[in-house]
Amino acid sequence: MSDHAIVVQNLVKTFKGDVKAIKDISFEVREGEFFAFLGPNGAGKSTTIQVLTTLLNPTSGSAVVSGFNVQKDPFSIRRKIGVALQETGIDPSLTGRELLHLQARLFGFSKSDAKKRAQELLELINLTDDADRKVGKYSGGMRRRLDLSLCLVHRPKILFLDEPTTGLDPYNRNAIWDEIRTLNRQFGATIFLTTQYLEEADQLADRISIINKGEIVASGTSQQLKKTVGMDVIELTFHQREDAEKAKDVLEPWMKDFRLTNEELTLYVDNGAIFLPEMVRKLDGEGIPPVSLNLAPPTLDDVFLRVTGDHLEEKGNRQEGVVSK
Amino acid sequence: MNSNFIVDTYLMTKRSTIAIFRNPFIFIPNIIISLFFLVVYQAGLSGISNIPAFAGASYLAFILPVSIVSGAIGGSGGAGQSLVQDLENGYFSRLLLTPTSRVAIVLGPILAGMIQLFIQTVLILLVGIWMGLEIAAGFGGAIVVILLAAGFGLAFAGYSVAFALKTKDAQASQAGTFVFFPLVFLSTTFVPYELIEADWLKFVSKINPTTYIFDGMRSVLINGWEAEPLLNAALVIVLICSITITFASLSAKKAVSRD
Repeated sequence: MSDHAIVVQNLVKTFKGDVKAIKDISFEVREGEFFAFLGPNGAGKSTTIQVLTTLLNPTSGSAVVSGFNVQKDPFSIRRKIGVALQETGIDPSLTGRELLHLQARLFGFSKSDAKKRAQELLELINLTDDADRKVGKYSGGMRRRLDLSLCLVHRPKILFLDEPTTGLDPYNRNAIWDEIRTLNRQFGATIFLTTQYLEEADQLADRISIINKGEIVASGTSQQLKKTVGMDVIELTFHQREDAEKAKDVLEPWMKDFRLTNEELTLYVDNGAIFLPEMVRKLDGEGIPPVSLNLAPPTLDDVFLRVTGDHLEEKGNRQEGVVSK
Repeated sequence: MNSNFIVDTYLMTKRSTIAIFRNPFIFIPNIIISLFFLVVYQAGLSGISNIPAFAGASYLAFILPVSIVSGAIGGSGGAGQSLVQDLENGYFSRLLLTPTSRVAIVLGPILAGMIQLFIQTVLILLVGIWMGLEIAAGFGGAIVVILLAAGFGLAFAGYSVAFALKTKDAQASQAGTFVFFPLVFLSTTFVPYELIEADWLKFVSKINPTTYIFDGMRSVLINGWEAEPLLNAALVIVLICSITITFASLSAKKAVSRD
């Protein structure tokens, strides 16, 4: 067997009405690797997960998961993978313990083994106190944790997590992050995670593919991706747009690239730290001192911006509690 | 694979049964409406059984099948509702992601509806007996009543599942259960066929499958063992079950398909 947990070749998924959700993507995930699909809503992340987890058939191309073809052998794949979809999948009329027990039984555990496994997982996700309450009464964070534990029941070697922290507060998000990290590092599980949060991909993943409008636009480790931007990023804010435009002309000799949005000027500069004082003096001399100024190494958002021409995270729409560097 | 299928079906049925009985708002109103029919119609209408067309039958025995059939429809209609809930809360996908038999996933709620129906029917029969019902065909007659209720309920479960999986919408599948009213009331619900006034209602009652279920149940409750009404009822059940179950399987196949 190859040492690849997932091999995807020229995968295409078209929905009714000729909606191309995935346009010809190819990638591989090694065994034990933590791989993230980063992209905005509607980029094709969930569709990719649904194809890889046997919920949807591909329109063309092939996907092999754990050595089995998704179209030819879906039942073998289902035994090997754990999946937490974007929307939690739980029956609110059962208790947490009952759901875990049932899940284990459906994967072929005997009654006593299922009982043991349910208890183990309840302890793992810190839900023993609420284990015998109906899931309908759980909070959003508890549901997420239970949903995650449901996909671990049969000790899968490959985990698919579709935006596992969307809508969670920082406390629950960190709990899930820790959990996923442990699964990857301690138990060697291969992880395929999708996220629209830069921070999440940056913090967790060994390797990232950026997906936009059904296509993979960049792949690599977080460091490699940031290096493709190659420069420092200087963000300048002015009183008005005219000042920002004038500043752009004045600073032309230093910059490799720029973006202008209203009063904000973003510059891509080699060795920004060295030239910054000189640039500020020049702006002062022209009578257009910036209101604020920020020098930063590139982030994944800059990578995204460079390859797609758009920001991934709108300002004010960032994940709660994430402090951007 | 075969023993897996049995275990899967058992697990899925058990889970749906727990869900039904844990949610009294599903179970209680249905049984109350059925008993309400029995008690109120008996109290208000039993005098008309003195009319010769009733041939001396007790009105209680005549109206009991209405109570049982309405309970059967309500109970088995829950199967579709519970599948729609699974679709809406994502549990359906969670189940599809397990190696569970696809048939078992759809069959579970149907069988759970059958269990609910069985308990209700027995309960209504017991209340009837407590009210003074005497079953002409004896204990065997009671079994026949339960079997006919189950057969009719299965047909209705098929209908509700087909409707639910086709619309995938709680409101729509709720609306689908309104077929209950024509089924129960456009028939020999309150009086025998000969006493129905309007010609259109006579005609509709002839093509309404419920009429033959009423006839079958009434024959064992009132007259004892007769071949024809039982045969007719059995035939009607086979016919409508094959239609609704086929329809349900087609929608189910589509709901679990991956295209």
